[in-house]
Amino acid sequence: MSDFQLALTNTAGVSSVMSFWVFVASNGFKKYHDKMMTAASIVMGIGFVALTLAIIARGVEAQRFPLANLYESLLWFAWATMGGYLALATAYGIRQLGWLAAMLAATMFLYGSWLPANQQTISPLVPALVSYWRQIHVPPLIVSYAMFFLSGLSSLLELFHSRRKVSLGLSVGTIVLAFTAIGLGTFTSVDTKWLQLLFVGGSLLGTIGAYYTLKIKSGEPNQKQAELYDDVSYRAIAIGFPLLTIGIITGGLWANHAWGTYWSWDPKESMALVTWLSYAAYIHLRIHHEASAEKLSVVSVAGLLLTLLTYLGFNSLGFGGLHSYGKFK
Amino acid sequence: MTTSDSHSKQSLGFRPVFRNGPLAIFASVKLTIFLLALCATTILVGAWCPQEATVGQEKVIEQFGEEMAVNLHNWGITDIFHTPFFLILIAFLSMNMVVGSLDKVFPKLRLLKLPLQFFGPDQIAKMPFNTTFTVGASPAETLEKLQIKLQQRGFKTVVHGNQLAAEYGKIGRYAPTITHIGLLSLLLGVTITSWTGFSGFKPVRLGDDLSFKDSEHSKQWIGKLPTWKVHVDATRREDYESGEAKQWYSDLSVIDDKGKVLDKQQISVNTPLEYKGVDVYQSSWGLDQLIVSFNGHDKTLDLRQMGKVYAAFLPLDSETVLIMSLRNQTAPLRLFAKRPEWDAPKMISEIPQGKAVNLGAVEIKYVRPVPVTGLQYKSDPGLPITYIAFGFIMLGVLLAAIPFRHVWVSVSKDGAESGSAVSIGGRSKKAKVGFERLITKIVESMKHELPPPVVTTAIDPESEPSINPTASRSNESNV
Ligand code: HEM
Repeated sequence: MSDFQLALTNTAGVSSVMSFWVFVASNGFKKYHDKMMTAASIVMGIGFVALTLAIIARGVEAQRFPLANLYESLLWFAWATMGGYLALATAYGIRQLGWLAAMLAATMFLYGSWLPANQQTISPLVPALVSYWRQIHVPPLIVSYAMFFLSGLSSLLELFHSRRKVSLGLSVGTIVLAFTAIGLGTFTSVDTKWLQLLFVGGSLLGTIGAYYTLKIKSGEPNQKQAELYDDVSYRAIAIGFPLLTIGIITGGLWANHAWGTYWSWDPKESMALVTWLSYAAYIHLRIHHEASAEKLSVVSVAGLLLTLLTYLGFNSLGFGGLHSYGKFK
Repeated sequence: MTTSDSHSKQSLGFRPVFRNGPLAIFASVKLTIFLLALCATTILVGAWCPQEATVGQEKVIEQFGEEMAVNLHNWGITDIFHTPFFLILIAFLSMNMVVGSLDKVFPKLRLLKLPLQFFGPDQIAKMPFNTTFTVGASPAETLEKLQIKLQQRGFKTVVHGNQLAAEYGKIGRYAPTITHIGLLSLLLGVTITSWTGFSGFKPVRLGDDLSFKDSEHSKQWIGKLPTWKVHVDATRREDYESGEAKQWYSDLSVIDDKGKVLDKQQISVNTPLEYKGVDVYQSSWGLDQLIVSFNGHDKTLDLRQMGKVYAAFLPLDSETVLIMSLRNQTAPLRLFAKRPEWDAPKMISEIPQGKAVNLGAVEIKYVRPVPVTGLQYKSDPGLPITYIAFGFIMLGVLLAAIPFRHVWVSVSKDGAESGSAVSIGGRSKKAKVGFERLITKIVESMKHELPPPVVTTAIDPESEPSINPTASRSNESNV
């Protein structure tokens, strides 16, 4: 990795952390609130540009498309998170999503930088991955995952503004638990069976709990804000869903081209389908006016957990398959 | 869906097709949501548990231990995609998709042909999003300016007297139809393949033939297997400098049952052989056997893959084992001997291909390795339809991201001077907040660019537009 590329990546990482703190701090300074929010968004924008350049530099250095291992995919994910937030913030004039997005991007940077060096270096590809299809297949998937995460985070804000504090607490707790399981699975040698149980069991209990505690309201909802974040959440899914669809289908086309079958029930492939079916269910739920915004928020949080399982869970929690980025313990 | 909503739809020509009868239950979107969720859960379990059909039983036992593996097997979880439960689930989902599409999705296309309607201030006031304002310009001028502003933002507008109707993103309304046509075509394509296609995998040694006799196909199969075969003329592996595999190649000939060569193609990972609707793919590669000669007598030994090398084991006596190891097709053969009292095998010699060494009274010659190429083949007659389906689905879901929006305006003369009172309202099926921001912006710029109203009226021009946030989802119709 060249110093130039490293410097750019670090700039992006530091920007995400900085913009997180400025976002958070702005909530404490009523007087400078708007100015600080703008500053935080600008810092995030700088990080986004730096990361874009870093990814390009990596591709130039490696003489290949820079999306071939977990580390590179994390860079893309952080890139899409930052870019997705900036786009949504511009379209909707929302800012509070900013600190959540910054935190998510920073988490991914941190996770990436803690990976063992052999995951970070630029390594050659196994025969199956030598194909131009890779650049068609993977980026839409990573960007769709980032959009689903933004949707889930936006749903948390929806729950906050509709004053479903218990439900919100459970949702946040569940997400933290899920990330903890992933972290333990990646960096320690805790038995993956327990981690699978922690992730899946925790997510199930957490989301069911969050759903049934929606009845508990604490205070008067801020209807306008709640509606805003509900809409943002839906928008993020409306962008993520076609990308996921394209990612899955181009994956099928690639597999068919390379192995003669477009579907083989590989675990990662199956997980992407699970995510796809779940968001298809979400879309039909929404079109058919059968669920309130709060219920849809909980569904979107569940979607975030599924996305996390698909994206990082399968490697770190010991599921196998052709798509795993490889073992690195 | 509210009752008034479905009333309006029916009066506009929307008729569910399967309102009664045994199929009516399959038209339910609630059922769709339930089935999609159930399907997702089942596949999740299938993704979690290694599947016998793809990785074999050993993998299940390795992961869960013998006892648990047997339980999982008995519950059908180790082969979940072939259980009656899953197949019935897919059948229900398919049924739901066909009936639901015919009943609820396709008929709505008719609604798109309806001309835009016009509304007065009272009706506009009832819309999910609406506001009023006044300006000091004539109704005609105001309406024209509004029309231009809406057009600049991509709206198609129609003016009728002093009323205006505008719509945006009508193409997005084709999304459900296109997606569902895609889904149904996918179903058709997959069914055709399942009834007439076949597939299989066979490791074929250099110089041997691949025939399609042992291929797999479904129970309802009504297809035919080809009589021609594929001969492996050559096969090799190309490495990176570091020694890792970069690419595998095989030179293949298609031969008929009399041995006549019909075609010749080179394949590699990502570039298959294509012949008469059958594709043959390079899916794995290895060194399978080793031919060595002992004092001029050829002997074929089986090779085993041990990490990065292939090795053959030849017991010399009860204690000594001769190990022959090969790194790749072109590397020299390395000879090792192993005895129980040694910590590690000792290297005895290295023989380049075609050369020999003498070990005591025995002359060992390294003749050649026998590579094996893993050939995956398939005939997929439904594929063209499946691919078209993929196209439709991708297009459909992309279109679904486009919000479909309506705006209605009614302008009336306001006061004695040349002033106008404007009612503006509308709805957006998606991206509602963005829509409201857009209209608010247009209203603000109208007020900014046109002179203020001369006469004071009941509506205070300085005040914020009276935005009515009754925009509840249930109020939106699908028109
Ligand atoms: C299995 C049975 C299914 C039924 C009965 C069904 C039914 C429906 C209905 C009634 C609509 C609304 C149409 C309209 O408002 O004009 C719709 C829309 C849609 N459906 Fe399905 N659907 C099914 C499965 C699926 C699946 C598996 C997908 C996966 C992609 C899907 C994707 C869509 C999309 C993208 C839309 C448009 C959504 C939008 O406009 O935002 N459907 N479906």
